[in-house]
Amino acid sequence: MLFSKDWLSQYVDLPADDQELARKLTFAGLAVEHMEECDGDLVLDLDVTTNRPDCMNHYGVAREIAVLFDRPLKPPAHLEDNDSAPDVGQLASITLNDERCPRYAAKLIRGVTVGPSPDWLRRRLEAIGSRSINNVVDVTNYVLWELGQPLHAFDLAKLAGRTIDVRPAKPGEELVTLDGERRKLDPEIMVIADAERAVALAGIMGGRDSEVTETTTEILLESAHFDPRAVRRAARQLAMHTDACHRFERGADPEICAAAATRVAHLIAELAGGTVVPGVLDELGDRERSWRLEGRLEMARLQRFMGVEVECSIVERWLSGLGFELIPVGEDVWTVRVPGWRYYDFENRKPTGAVYEADLFEEVIRLHGFANIPSTVPKLAGIDASPSPLQEARRRAQDHLAACGFVETINFAFHSPQQAVSYPAMGAVGEEQTTDDLATVQLANALSERYSTLRPSLLPGLVESAQFNQRRNAARISLFEVGNTFLPSGEELPRETEAIALVQGGLATQGSAWEPRGEVDYFDLKGVVESLVSALLPGATIGSSEAVLPGFSEGATAQLRLLPVAGAAAEGEAEGELLGHLGQLEVEGPYPLYAAELRLGALVKERRVARVEIPSRYPNVEVDLTLTHALTVTWRQLAARIEAAPPADLKGFELKDRYRGKGVPAGAVNTTISFSYNAEGRSLTHEEVNERHLVLIRQMEKSFGIDGEA
Amino acid sequence: MSTGAASPAELAVRFEAEAALVADRAAFEQLRLAWTGRKKGILRAMLAGMKEVAPQNRREYGQAVHQLKVAVEGGLEALGERLSAQEKADARQAATLDVTLPGRRPRLGSLHPVTVVNRDIEAIFAEMGYSVAEGPEVENDYHNFEALNFPRDHPARDTQDTFFVEGGALLRTHTSPVQIRTMLARAEPPIRIICPGRVYRNDNDLRHSPMFHQIEGLAIGEGLTVGDLKGTLETFIQRLFSADTGVRLRPSFFPFTEPSAEVDITCPFCAGSGESLDGGEPCGVCSATGWMEILGSGMVDPRVLAECGIDPEIYTGFAFGLGVDRVAMIRYGIPNIRMLFDNDERLLRQVQS
Ligand SMILES: [Zn+2]
Repeated sequence: MLFSKDWLSQYVDLPADDQELARKLTFAGLAVEHMEECDGDLVLDLDVTTNRPDCMNHYGVAREIAVLFDRPLKPPAHLEDNDSAPDVGQLASITLNDERCPRYAAKLIRGVTVGPSPDWLRRRLEAIGSRSINNVVDVTNYVLWELGQPLHAFDLAKLAGRTIDVRPAKPGEELVTLDGERRKLDPEIMVIADAERAVALAGIMGGRDSEVTETTTEILLESAHFDPRAVRRAARQLAMHTDACHRFERGADPEICAAAATRVAHLIAELAGGTVVPGVLDELGDRERSWRLEGRLEMARLQRFMGVEVECSIVERWLSGLGFELIPVGEDVWTVRVPGWRYYDFENRKPTGAVYEADLFEEVIRLHGFANIPSTVPKLAGIDASPSPLQEARRRAQDHLAACGFVETINFAFHSPQQAVSYPAMGAVGEEQTTDDLATVQLANALSERYSTLRPSLLPGLVESAQFNQRRNAARISLFEVGNTFLPSGEELPRETEAIALVQGGLATQGSAWEPRGEVDYFDLKGVVESLVSALLPGATIGSSEAVLPGFSEGATAQLRLLPVAGAAAEGEAEGELLGHLGQLEVEGPYPLYAAELRLGALVKERRVARVEIPSRYPNVEVDLTLTHALTVTWRQLAARIEAAPPADLKGFELKDRYRGKGVPAGAVNTTISFSYNAEGRSLTHEEVNERHLVLIRQMEKSFGIDGEA
Repeated sequence: MSTGAASPAELAVRFEAEAALVADRAAFEQLRLAWTGRKKGILRAMLAGMKEVAPQNRREYGQAVHQLKVAVEGGLEALGERLSAQEKADARQAATLDVTLPGRRPRLGSLHPVTVVNRDIEAIFAEMGYSVAEGPEVENDYHNFEALNFPRDHPARDTQDTFFVEGGALLRTHTSPVQIRTMLARAEPPIRIICPGRVYRNDNDLRHSPMFHQIEGLAIGEGLTVGDLKGTLETFIQRLFSADTGVRLRPSFFPFTEPSAEVDITCPFCAGSGESLDGGEPCGVCSATGWMEILGSGMVDPRVLAECGIDPEIYTGFAFGLGVDRVAMIRYGIPNIRMLFDNDERLLRQVQS
């Protein structure tokens, strides 16, 4: 917002140093963003925050300067009539029929000659970027920028019945505004009407039919107060923004109406001739309303809040300089009355209506300056709380994946409706996977359709990032993301499910450029997922069951479950708490991509003390078994058989090799399993082990082998 | 090999000459066989030639052959030792690694710059006793605006371009709703939390991203002061940037704090001088002001405390918030916020916490 230094100097003696002026204003809350010489004047661009409509005019800023530099403030002239008021009410009448207008003041001027404005007035307006129109309109603008009160001049002769009626617009009512636009109105919008029709949009803009023209001689000056919310709603509905509504929306001074109208009337009479009709038409409606808020200010509490001592007399000087009335009620305690121009900043909005002391403290603090408050350490002992199990799980997952070579990404949370459902929805894993009719969370005002649907899965974004890197010739992809997914919940807020998604492909992350270890496949990613689960849930086992899922290749995709206890595999892999899914993606690219998505919540468990098993003092005896069996026999079946009746002293077994090729019949595979035996208290001999192991081999071959039959 | 008519002395010269040509073990073996071979060796032949020598010359001949034998055997031994030494040296040479070849390193992954900055900030506040609070990204009007003293139809809402969800909810425009939820859930101060998370604003251009990250902090207790706010922010900023970072507070306005302050730090790119460190050009990062706006802060507005059931007569508190993405951009020299979400792994992999 622009301010003229010349203009400001009309109300207060300015310091010689412009930089000092700018610095003091900035550190009192009126940031000077820019200063520029202009025709021998200096124009200041101030950032006036929405809570300070009182500083959206020169007199208001001058008041701040007067306090900051401890100089007297000189009010403008003609705020009151010199003559006593005759019955102005016989010349025009006002009725308030809308409670959104709590006050309507008007002033009449007769016998004016509308014409161009004098130079000084044009210059004033041009300095702050406003255009001169004619002497009457310019004066209303001038006072807007001087006192902050929006005013409007009606051609009184064009007001039917010489009457003002403030009321809601009628359904279907229309009004052509000053800018020539025909506006369609409804009762949400408050209008100023004459005896017949709407003549202005309350607080926003006047109508064309009643505007002041060269032939106007008799003027009704409106200086009213409108409810900020009503003006804002109407302006938004009509997509309008004017200097008037900018101020009313932020809260104008309800007590300045009559004074501002009087000043404008006398300035018009000076510049455009005519006579000011003494007296003000001032309707306050039937609701008696006071705009005087009161609060209590105690020096002791103020100093405790600031953390520094301030002199009582200085606080008094600052606050009275800003227009607050201080009424002593005890030792360094006052009742403080807030001036009308600060009403909306101090409004409490609670039934008690008392001003919060912090609002008064703020005035003192900004004048005292943050720089003059010493820094201290809060007197709060101990800690608030420890990280939650979810936060710990998330952190461990991120660290684990980064250690496994994965790069963490962050993707937008919105996609196009089609893209959003191109992978299984996280919250819906295990539920029916029909993505065509999957309900998603839609934005009502999206940037574009591409960003209109909140993601039900992290994969659409993550796969896009993988492809972005593939297009940049990345020889390997290993990316992950941790974030929320969204699905409708049937309640006010959607269901947010935190997920971990991984995507991998290309050269293996281990090995090096000069000794590569080949391309990763399904089991590399599965291994990462398994290691992640062990890192977060020691001892947990993952069960995999083949699944058909959107975006994933059939035959290379599984749903993952957390098996209740280790060794419960025999129960079947489709039992247990659902964790997520894993598989090869159905996407085009230089090499296949594999992806997994897991529910973070499934990996969060209350911390338990994990007891270790003390190893035997004797070395293990290791024996292998190679079994030729049909491809249709799964590892889970083999493992379940071993677990169902383990030989004595079997400590563990693991897959050692899978071989298909020369010497293995078509449709079959060689599976080599290593077994570890240990008898705890003594050394086992190979003979003992072989004896037991042979029994196992015979059983396995009998159940699964195809050697005998081949 | 024939001895021809050569004398032992001539042969000794010849041996020297042949020995000098031997470069490897095979040639050595050939030389050894030629001279000392049991059947066809030259020495053997010379000894056998004794019987053709006149008896009176035999003694002299025998001495000459003996001398030749000593010379040849000594020569061969020395040569053998030299070869062994050379072979050992060669073997050592062959087994020597090129220690300058690159190692086979396990490829490290990386955490996102935003995660790294979040963790640093969390660690600083954890030491000051703060815990981390989290909440939903889709919020209702009450938690995101109303309870934070952003009334409906108030211009303060203009600064928060909001994405609305079909049905009336909205994407949170800041993480302040987490403060509200925490205060409502824990009516009993003291409270010390920081709230990191994704936030959304309907704003999409070169300098803005519709999704970004914030961390907000909240402390409430009996007798917390404006000085405490300043002290906390200074400690935090100097730990996050550097111990000599200057901090200043400028009065401002946020609906949920009273008083409110913008917090500037001395520009890390020009150390607050306003001039680039290399050439004395005006610093482009801070527009030559030497300062950078980095945080919003203030004392919690009593309206907010009261709304959350905390008595503002008894308790005071302070709150602050900053953009995590911006800190990451400053720290790593990333010029554009959108680059944080392109997920180009060539950029991301460089960030090792
Ligand atoms: Zn700089």
